[in-house]
Amino acid sequence: MVNMHKSKKRGVIGVIITAIVLIIIVVVSNIKSNDLSSLEGVLGYFIIPIQNGLTYLKNGIAGNDSFFTDINKLKNENIDLKKRNSELEEELRELEIVKAENSTLKEYVNLKDKYTEYTTVPGYVINKDITNYSDIIIINIGENDGIKVNMPVISEKGLVGHIISVTETTAKVQTIVDTSSSISCTITSTRDNLIAKGTLEEESTLRATYIPTDATVLQGDTVETSGLGGIYPKGILIGTITEVTNTQNKPDRYAKIETAVDFTKLETVLVITQ
Amino acid sequence: MKKVLSIVLIFIIFIIIFLLQANFFNWFTIAGVKPNLFIILALFIGLFAGQRIGTIYGVVLGIFLDVILGKSIGASTVMLGLIGFLGGYLDKNFSKDSRLTVMLMVAGATAVYEIGSYIFNVAQFSINIEILNFSKILAIEVAFNVILTIIAYPLMQRAGYVLEDIFKGQKVLTRYF
Repeated sequence: MVNMHKSKKRGVIGVIITAIVLIIIVVVSNIKSNDLSSLEGVLGYFIIPIQNGLTYLKNGIAGNDSFFTDINKLKNENIDLKKRNSELEEELRELEIVKAENSTLKEYVNLKDKYTEYTTVPGYVINKDITNYSDIIIINIGENDGIKVNMPVISEKGLVGHIISVTETTAKVQTIVDTSSSISCTITSTRDNLIAKGTLEEESTLRATYIPTDATVLQGDTVETSGLGGIYPKGILIGTITEVTNTQNKPDRYAKIETAVDFTKLETVLVITQ
Repeated sequence: MKKVLSIVLIFIIFIIIFLLQANFFNWFTIAGVKPNLFIILALFIGLFAGQRIGTIYGVVLGIFLDVILGKSIGASTVMLGLIGFLGGYLDKNFSKDSRLTVMLMVAGATAVYEIGSYIFNVAQFSINIEILNFSKILAIEVAFNVILTIIAYPLMQRAGYVLEDIFKGQKVLTRYF
Protein backbone atom coordinates (compact mmCIF):
# COMPACT_ATOMS: atom_id res chain seq x y z
CA MET A 1 0.00 0.00 0.00
CA VAL A 2 2.79 2.36 1.03
CA ASN A 3 4.76 1.36 -2.06
CA MET A 4 1.75 2.03 -4.31
CA HIS A 5 1.28 5.47 -2.78
CA LYS A 6 4.98 6.17 -3.22
CA SER A 7 5.01 5.14 -6.88
CA LYS A 8 1.87 7.25 -7.57
CA LYS A 9 3.56 10.24 -5.94
CA ARG A 10 6.70 9.57 -7.95
CA GLY A 11 4.60 9.44 -11.13
CA VAL A 12 3.05 12.84 -10.41
CA ILE A 13 6.48 14.33 -9.70
CA GLY A 14 7.74 12.82 -12.97
CA VAL A 15 4.90 14.43 -14.92
CA ILE A 16 5.55 17.83 -13.29
CA ILE A 17 9.29 17.62 -13.98
CA THR A 18 8.62 16.63 -17.63
CA ALA A 19 6.24 19.58 -18.03
CA ILE A 20 8.85 21.97 -16.61
CA VAL A 21 11.55 20.52 -18.86
CA LEU A 22 9.24 20.93 -21.87
CA ILE A 23 8.57 24.59 -21.02
CA ILE A 24 12.32 25.22 -20.65
CA ILE A 25 13.03 23.51 -24.01
CA VAL A 26 10.33 25.58 -25.73
CA VAL A 27 11.59 28.85 -24.25
CA VAL A 28 15.27 28.15 -24.93
CA SER A 29 14.71 26.83 -28.47
CA ASN A 30 12.79 29.94 -29.47
CA ILE A 31 15.27 32.50 -28.14
CA LYS A 32 16.87 34.52 -30.91
CA SER A 33 20.45 35.70 -30.55
CA ASN A 34 19.21 39.33 -30.41
CA ASP A 35 17.18 38.53 -27.32
CA LEU A 36 20.33 37.51 -25.51
CA SER A 37 21.69 41.07 -25.29
CA SER A 38 20.43 41.51 -21.70
CA LEU A 39 22.07 38.22 -20.66
CA GLU A 40 25.19 39.37 -22.46
CA GLY A 41 25.08 42.57 -20.38
CA VAL A 42 24.76 40.65 -17.11
CA LEU A 43 27.60 38.30 -18.00
CA GLY A 44 29.68 41.24 -19.17
CA TYR A 45 29.18 42.90 -15.78
CA PHE A 46 31.03 40.01 -14.15
CA ILE A 47 33.54 39.14 -16.85
CA ILE A 48 34.73 42.57 -18.07
CA PRO A 49 36.32 43.69 -14.72
CA ILE A 50 38.25 40.40 -14.60
CA GLN A 51 39.34 40.86 -18.19
CA ASN A 52 40.39 44.47 -17.45
CA GLY A 53 42.40 43.27 -14.47
CA LEU A 54 44.15 40.67 -16.54
CA THR A 55 44.97 43.21 -19.27
CA TYR A 56 46.30 45.58 -16.62
CA LEU A 57 48.51 42.80 -15.28
CA LYS A 58 49.70 41.89 -18.76
CA ASN A 59 50.57 45.51 -19.55
CA GLY A 60 52.47 45.80 -16.28
CA ILE A 61 54.49 42.66 -16.97
CA ALA A 62 55.27 43.79 -20.50
CA GLY A 63 56.68 47.05 -19.13
CA ASN A 64 53.96 49.13 -20.71
CA ASP A 65 53.88 51.66 -17.88
CA SER A 66 53.35 54.82 -19.92
CA PHE A 67 49.68 54.31 -19.12
CA PHE A 68 50.32 55.34 -15.51
CA THR A 69 52.27 58.52 -16.26
CA ASP A 70 49.42 60.77 -17.20
CA ILE A 71 46.47 58.87 -15.91
CA ASN A 72 44.66 62.04 -14.85
CA LYS A 73 44.83 63.45 -18.34
CA LEU A 74 43.46 60.27 -19.78
CA LYS A 75 40.67 60.17 -17.20
CA ASN A 76 39.53 63.68 -18.17
CA GLU A 77 39.73 62.84 -21.82
CA ASN A 78 37.67 59.74 -21.17
CA ILE A 79 34.95 61.77 -19.44
CA ASP A 80 34.81 64.21 -22.38
CA LEU A 81 34.65 61.40 -24.90
CA LYS A 82 31.89 59.64 -22.97
CA LYS A 83 29.87 62.85 -22.92
CA ARG A 84 30.40 63.37 -26.66
CA ASN A 85 29.53 59.75 -27.29
CA SER A 86 26.21 59.99 -25.44
CA GLU A 87 25.37 63.16 -27.40
CA LEU A 88 26.11 61.41 -30.67
CA GLU A 89 24.11 58.37 -29.62
CA GLU A 90 21.11 60.55 -28.89
CA GLU A 91 21.43 62.24 -32.29
CA LEU A 92 21.69 58.84 -33.91
CA ARG A 93 18.54 57.64 -32.15
CA GLU A 94 16.64 60.71 -33.38
CA LEU A 95 17.90 60.09 -36.90
CA GLU A 96 16.87 56.43 -36.72
CA ILE A 97 13.35 57.45 -35.70
CA VAL A 98 13.12 59.94 -38.60
CA LYS A 99 14.52 57.31 -40.97
CA ALA A 100 11.98 54.68 -39.84
CA GLU A 101 9.12 57.17 -40.18
CA ASN A 102 10.35 58.15 -43.63
CA SER A 103 10.60 54.56 -44.84
CA THR A 104 7.11 53.69 -43.49
CA LEU A 105 5.62 56.72 -45.22
CA LYS A 106 7.49 55.93 -48.43
CA GLU A 107 6.33 52.32 -48.32
CA TYR A 108 2.75 53.41 -47.72
CA VAL A 109 2.83 55.86 -50.64
CA ASN A 110 4.43 53.25 -52.91
CA LEU A 111 1.93 50.56 -51.95
CA LYS A 112 -0.98 52.91 -52.37
CA ASP A 113 0.23 53.80 -55.85
CA LYS A 114 1.11 50.24 -56.69
CA TYR A 115 -2.15 48.62 -55.71
CA THR A 116 -4.65 51.27 -56.84
CA GLU A 117 -5.03 49.42 -60.13
CA TYR A 118 -6.44 46.36 -58.36
CA THR A 119 -9.84 45.86 -56.76
CA THR A 120 -9.22 44.20 -53.43
CA VAL A 121 -11.32 42.68 -50.64
CA PRO A 122 -9.83 42.79 -47.12
CA GLY A 123 -9.94 39.75 -44.86
CA TYR A 124 -8.58 38.36 -41.60
CA VAL A 125 -6.58 35.21 -41.05
CA ILE A 126 -8.78 32.99 -38.87
CA ASN A 127 -6.77 29.78 -38.91
CA LYS A 128 -3.21 28.78 -39.60
CA ASP A 129 -1.82 25.43 -40.62
CA ILE A 130 -1.49 22.86 -37.86
CA THR A 131 1.31 20.82 -39.40
CA ASN A 132 5.01 21.53 -39.83
CA TYR A 133 5.18 20.61 -43.49
CA SER A 134 2.68 22.88 -45.22
CA ASP A 135 1.60 26.51 -44.95
CA ILE A 136 -2.08 26.94 -45.59
CA ILE A 137 -4.14 29.71 -44.00
CA ILE A 138 -7.89 30.22 -43.74
CA ILE A 139 -9.36 33.71 -44.19
CA ASN A 140 -12.77 34.97 -43.15
CA ILE A 141 -14.03 35.93 -46.62
CA GLY A 142 -15.52 33.59 -49.19
CA GLU A 143 -17.91 33.23 -52.13
CA ASN A 144 -20.32 35.73 -50.57
CA ASP A 145 -17.61 38.39 -50.87
CA GLY A 146 -16.82 37.54 -54.47
CA ILE A 147 -13.79 35.36 -53.74
CA LYS A 148 -12.93 32.69 -56.30
CA VAL A 149 -10.28 30.00 -56.67
CA ASN A 150 -6.87 31.16 -57.97
CA MET A 151 -7.32 34.78 -56.90
CA PRO A 152 -4.04 36.26 -55.64
CA VAL A 153 -3.73 37.27 -52.00
CA ILE A 154 -1.48 40.10 -50.84
CA SER A 155 -0.80 41.99 -47.64
CA GLU A 156 0.49 45.47 -46.97
CA LYS A 157 4.07 44.18 -47.23
CA GLY A 158 3.81 42.02 -50.34
CA LEU A 159 2.62 38.74 -51.85
CA VAL A 160 0.94 36.18 -49.56
CA GLY A 161 -0.32 33.44 -51.91
CA HIS A 162 -3.43 32.40 -53.81
CA ILE A 163 -6.87 30.97 -53.08
CA ILE A 164 -7.10 27.20 -53.48
CA SER A 165 -10.66 26.60 -52.29
CA VAL A 166 -13.63 28.62 -51.11
CA THR A 167 -16.75 28.12 -49.03
CA GLU A 168 -19.51 30.70 -48.68
CA THR A 169 -17.81 32.47 -45.81
CA THR A 170 -14.19 31.32 -45.80
CA ALA A 171 -11.34 30.71 -48.22
CA LYS A 172 -8.26 28.51 -48.07
CA VAL A 173 -5.04 30.25 -49.12
CA GLN A 174 -1.90 28.43 -50.20
CA THR A 175 0.90 30.74 -49.10
CA ILE A 176 4.02 31.28 -51.18
CA VAL A 177 6.12 29.60 -48.46
CA ASP A 178 4.18 26.33 -48.77
CA THR A 179 6.42 23.56 -50.08
CA SER A 180 4.17 22.93 -53.09
CA SER A 181 4.15 26.62 -54.07
CA SER A 182 6.16 27.72 -57.09
CA ILE A 183 6.15 31.28 -58.44
CA SER A 184 7.70 32.83 -61.50
CA CYS A 185 9.43 36.02 -60.41
CA THR A 186 11.74 38.79 -61.58
CA ILE A 187 14.69 40.50 -59.94
CA THR A 188 13.57 44.14 -59.78
CA SER A 189 16.88 45.74 -60.76
CA THR A 190 18.14 43.40 -63.49
CA ARG A 191 14.77 42.03 -64.73
CA ASP A 192 16.16 38.48 -64.72
CA ASN A 193 13.53 35.78 -64.29
CA LEU A 194 13.72 32.96 -61.73
CA ILE A 195 11.48 30.47 -59.96
CA ALA A 196 10.84 30.81 -56.22
CA LYS A 197 9.71 27.72 -54.34
CA GLY A 198 8.56 27.18 -50.77
CA THR A 199 10.93 25.26 -48.51
CA LEU A 200 10.87 23.44 -45.18
CA GLU A 201 13.93 25.36 -44.05
CA GLU A 202 12.48 28.46 -42.44
CA GLU A 203 9.03 29.98 -42.07
CA SER A 204 9.54 33.08 -44.25
CA THR A 205 12.12 31.84 -46.74
CA LEU A 206 11.89 30.87 -50.40
CA ARG A 207 14.44 29.10 -52.55
CA ALA A 208 15.09 30.72 -55.92
CA THR A 209 16.16 28.33 -58.68
CA TYR A 210 16.44 28.30 -62.48
CA ILE A 211 18.61 31.42 -62.30
CA PRO A 212 19.83 32.31 -65.84
CA THR A 213 23.56 31.61 -66.21
CA ASP A 214 24.27 35.17 -67.36
CA ALA A 215 22.22 36.76 -64.58
CA THR A 216 23.89 38.77 -61.84
CA VAL A 217 22.20 37.97 -58.55
CA LEU A 218 23.22 40.07 -55.59
CA GLN A 219 22.42 39.96 -51.92
CA GLY A 220 19.86 42.66 -51.17
CA ASP A 221 18.16 42.56 -54.59
CA THR A 222 14.39 42.70 -54.36
CA VAL A 223 12.24 40.15 -56.15
CA GLU A 224 8.73 40.68 -57.51
CA THR A 225 6.18 38.64 -59.44
CA SER A 226 6.85 38.36 -63.17
CA GLY A 227 3.20 38.06 -64.19
CA LEU A 228 3.83 34.70 -65.89
CA GLY A 229 1.73 31.71 -64.89
CA GLY A 230 -1.66 33.37 -64.96
CA ILE A 231 -2.29 33.62 -61.21
CA TYR A 232 -0.22 36.49 -59.87
CA PRO A 233 -0.23 39.93 -61.50
CA LYS A 234 3.08 41.50 -62.43
CA GLY A 235 5.06 43.66 -60.01
CA ILE A 236 3.95 42.47 -56.56
CA LEU A 237 6.83 42.44 -54.10
CA ILE A 238 7.87 38.95 -52.97
CA GLY A 239 10.97 39.61 -50.88
CA THR A 240 14.70 40.26 -50.78
CA ILE A 241 17.58 37.98 -51.73
CA THR A 242 19.55 37.23 -48.58
CA GLU A 243 22.02 34.59 -49.75
CA VAL A 244 23.35 33.37 -53.08
CA THR A 245 24.84 29.88 -53.23
CA ASN A 246 27.10 29.26 -56.21
CA THR A 247 27.61 25.66 -57.29
CA GLN A 248 30.19 24.09 -59.57
CA ASN A 249 27.54 23.72 -62.22
CA LYS A 250 26.32 27.29 -62.81
CA PRO A 251 22.71 26.46 -63.79
CA ASP A 252 22.30 24.70 -60.40
CA ARG A 253 23.07 27.77 -58.32
CA TYR A 254 20.30 28.99 -56.06
CA ALA A 255 19.43 31.88 -53.80
CA LYS A 256 17.50 32.36 -50.61
CA ILE A 257 14.72 34.93 -50.61
CA GLU A 258 13.42 36.34 -47.37
CA THR A 259 9.76 37.10 -47.95
CA ALA A 260 8.55 40.67 -47.48
CA VAL A 261 5.60 39.29 -45.51
CA ASP A 262 6.32 37.91 -42.05
CA PHE A 263 4.09 34.83 -42.12
CA THR A 264 4.35 34.26 -38.38
CA LYS A 265 2.69 37.61 -37.74
CA LEU A 266 0.31 37.70 -40.69
CA GLU A 267 -3.16 38.82 -39.62
CA THR A 268 -4.79 40.87 -42.37
CA VAL A 269 -4.76 40.19 -46.10
CA LEU A 270 -6.18 41.63 -49.31
CA VAL A 271 -7.62 39.39 -52.02
CA ILE A 272 -7.25 40.83 -55.52
CA THR A 273 -10.60 40.26 -57.16
CA GLN A 274 -9.90 42.15 -60.42
CA MET B 1 -25.90 4.64 -24.89
CA LYS B 2 -22.44 4.60 -23.36
CA LYS B 3 -20.95 3.97 -26.81
CA VAL B 4 -22.76 6.95 -28.32
CA LEU B 5 -21.62 9.12 -25.43
CA SER B 6 -18.02 8.03 -25.81
CA ILE B 7 -18.15 8.67 -29.59
CA VAL B 8 -19.41 12.20 -28.92
CA LEU B 9 -16.76 12.65 -26.25
CA ILE B 10 -13.98 11.63 -28.64
CA PHE B 11 -15.23 14.23 -31.12
CA ILE B 12 -15.20 16.87 -28.40
CA ILE B 13 -11.61 15.85 -27.56
CA PHE B 14 -10.80 16.13 -31.28
CA ILE B 15 -12.20 19.69 -31.39
CA ILE B 16 -10.22 20.63 -28.25
CA ILE B 17 -7.05 19.16 -29.78
CA PHE B 18 -7.73 21.01 -33.04
CA LEU B 19 -8.09 24.33 -31.19
CA LEU B 20 -4.97 23.61 -29.12
CA GLN B 21 -3.01 22.73 -32.24
CA ALA B 22 -4.23 25.79 -34.19
CA ASN B 23 -3.72 28.30 -31.38
CA PHE B 24 -1.60 27.26 -28.40
CA PHE B 25 0.86 25.07 -30.30
CA ASN B 26 1.27 27.73 -32.98
CA TRP B 27 3.52 29.60 -30.57
CA PHE B 28 4.38 26.93 -27.97
CA THR B 29 6.90 25.26 -30.24
CA ILE B 30 10.32 23.67 -29.98
CA ALA B 31 12.52 25.65 -32.39
CA GLY B 32 9.41 26.50 -34.42
CA VAL B 33 8.26 22.86 -34.67
CA LYS B 34 4.75 21.97 -33.53
CA PRO B 35 3.70 18.59 -32.11
CA ASN B 36 0.97 16.53 -33.80
CA LEU B 37 -1.64 15.59 -31.22
CA PHE B 38 -3.93 13.95 -33.79
CA ILE B 39 -1.46 11.09 -34.16
CA ILE B 40 -1.54 10.51 -30.38
CA LEU B 41 -5.36 10.62 -30.43
CA ALA B 42 -5.72 8.14 -33.32
CA LEU B 43 -3.16 5.79 -31.75
CA PHE B 44 -4.88 6.06 -28.37
CA ILE B 45 -8.28 5.14 -29.89
CA GLY B 46 -6.75 2.19 -31.74
CA LEU B 47 -4.95 0.99 -28.60
CA PHE B 48 -7.93 1.13 -26.28
CA ALA B 49 -11.05 0.86 -28.45
CA GLY B 50 -9.73 -1.72 -30.89
CA GLN B 51 -8.46 -1.97 -34.44
CA ARG B 52 -11.81 -1.49 -36.20
CA ILE B 53 -12.91 1.56 -34.19
CA GLY B 54 -9.37 2.97 -34.35
CA THR B 55 -9.24 2.70 -38.13
CA ILE B 56 -12.73 4.19 -38.59
CA TYR B 57 -11.94 7.08 -36.25
CA GLY B 58 -8.58 7.67 -37.89
CA VAL B 59 -10.20 7.89 -41.32
CA VAL B 60 -13.03 10.17 -40.13
CA LEU B 61 -10.67 12.51 -38.24
CA GLY B 62 -8.31 12.49 -41.24
CA ILE B 63 -11.13 13.51 -43.61
CA PHE B 64 -11.99 16.34 -41.21
CA LEU B 65 -8.40 17.58 -41.22
CA ASP B 66 -8.06 17.25 -44.99
CA VAL B 67 -11.31 19.15 -45.57
CA ILE B 68 -10.52 21.91 -43.09
CA LEU B 69 -6.85 22.54 -43.81
CA GLY B 70 -5.55 20.12 -46.40
CA LYS B 71 -4.55 20.88 -49.96
CA SER B 72 -6.49 17.80 -51.05
CA ILE B 73 -8.30 14.88 -49.44
CA GLY B 74 -6.05 11.89 -49.02
CA ALA B 75 -2.90 12.14 -46.97
CA SER B 76 -4.33 12.69 -43.47
CA THR B 77 -7.27 10.37 -44.17
CA VAL B 78 -5.12 7.43 -45.17
CA MET B 79 -2.35 8.02 -42.66
CA LEU B 80 -4.56 8.63 -39.59
CA GLY B 81 -6.60 5.56 -40.58
CA LEU B 82 -3.35 3.62 -40.71
CA ILE B 83 -2.31 4.91 -37.27
CA GLY B 84 -5.69 3.83 -35.81
CA PHE B 85 -5.18 0.39 -37.38
CA LEU B 86 -1.60 0.29 -36.09
CA GLY B 87 -2.88 1.12 -32.57
CA GLY B 88 -5.11 -1.96 -32.61
CA TYR B 89 -2.26 -4.11 -33.90
CA LEU B 90 0.14 -2.84 -31.23
CA ASP B 91 -2.44 -3.51 -28.51
CA LYS B 92 -2.52 -7.17 -29.53
CA ASN B 93 1.25 -7.52 -29.32
CA PHE B 94 2.43 -5.14 -26.59
CA SER B 95 1.36 -4.03 -23.15
CA LYS B 96 0.06 -0.51 -22.94
CA ASP B 97 0.55 -0.42 -19.18
CA SER B 98 4.17 0.51 -19.56
CA ARG B 99 4.82 4.20 -20.07
CA LEU B 100 7.99 3.45 -22.00
CA THR B 101 6.16 1.14 -24.44
CA VAL B 102 3.50 3.79 -25.08
CA MET B 103 6.23 6.42 -25.59
CA LEU B 104 7.93 4.18 -28.17
CA MET B 105 4.58 3.55 -29.84
CA VAL B 106 3.94 7.30 -30.11
CA ALA B 107 7.45 7.89 -31.50
CA GLY B 108 7.00 5.16 -34.10
CA ALA B 109 3.48 6.28 -35.03
CA THR B 110 4.63 9.91 -35.45
CA ALA B 111 7.46 8.84 -37.72
CA VAL B 112 5.20 6.55 -39.79
CA TYR B 113 2.51 9.23 -40.13
CA GLU B 114 4.83 12.07 -41.12
CA ILE B 115 6.98 10.02 -43.51
CA GLY B 116 3.83 8.66 -45.16
CA SER B 117 2.25 12.12 -45.42
CA TYR B 118 5.46 13.54 -46.85
CA ILE B 119 5.64 10.82 -49.51
CA PHE B 120 2.00 11.58 -50.38
CA ASN B 121 2.86 15.27 -50.71
CA VAL B 122 5.91 14.62 -52.86
CA ALA B 123 3.93 12.32 -55.16
CA GLN B 124 0.86 14.55 -55.35
CA PHE B 125 2.38 18.02 -55.65
CA SER B 126 5.84 17.13 -56.99
CA ILE B 127 7.55 19.17 -54.31
CA ASN B 128 11.32 19.24 -53.84
CA ILE B 129 12.54 16.49 -51.54
CA GLU B 130 14.40 18.03 -48.60
CA ILE B 131 15.59 15.03 -46.62
CA LEU B 132 17.80 16.94 -44.18
CA ASN B 133 15.24 19.61 -43.28
CA PHE B 134 12.47 17.02 -43.12
CA SER B 135 14.49 14.76 -40.79
CA LYS B 136 15.32 17.70 -38.54
CA ILE B 137 11.66 18.69 -38.18
CA LEU B 138 10.57 15.07 -37.78
CA ALA B 139 13.11 14.40 -35.00
CA ILE B 140 11.90 17.42 -33.01
CA GLU B 141 8.25 16.54 -33.64
CA VAL B 142 8.79 12.95 -32.45
CA ALA B 143 10.52 14.21 -29.28
CA PHE B 144 7.74 16.77 -28.69
CA ASN B 145 5.00 14.12 -29.06
CA VAL B 146 6.86 11.77 -26.71
CA ILE B 147 7.24 14.49 -24.05
CA LEU B 148 3.55 15.32 -24.31
CA THR B 149 2.74 11.60 -23.97
CA ILE B 150 4.77 11.44 -20.74
CA ILE B 151 2.75 14.35 -19.37
CA ALA B 152 -0.66 13.11 -20.55
CA TYR B 153 -0.04 9.39 -19.90
CA PRO B 154 -1.86 9.10 -16.53
CA LEU B 155 -4.94 10.80 -17.98
CA MET B 156 -4.70 8.82 -21.22
CA GLN B 157 -4.46 5.54 -19.35
CA ARG B 158 -7.43 6.26 -17.10
CA ALA B 159 -9.63 7.49 -19.96
CA GLY B 160 -8.38 4.64 -22.14
CA TYR B 161 -9.50 1.91 -19.76
CA VAL B 162 -12.97 3.47 -19.54
CA LEU B 163 -13.05 3.45 -23.35
CA GLU B 164 -11.80 -0.13 -23.47
CA ASP B 165 -14.49 -1.17 -21.04
CA ILE B 166 -17.19 0.40 -23.23
CA PHE B 167 -16.00 -0.92 -26.59
CA LYS B 168 -14.50 -4.27 -25.66
CA GLY B 169 -16.38 -5.13 -22.44
CA GLN B 170 -14.71 -6.52 -19.32
CA LYS B 171 -11.60 -8.24 -20.52
CA VAL B 172 -9.79 -11.01 -18.72
CA LEU B 173 -6.13 -10.92 -19.59
CA THR B 174 -5.95 -14.58 -20.57
CA ARG B 175 -2.76 -13.92 -22.41
CA TYR B 176 -0.94 -13.39 -19.12
CA PHE B 177 -2.42 -16.33 -17.20
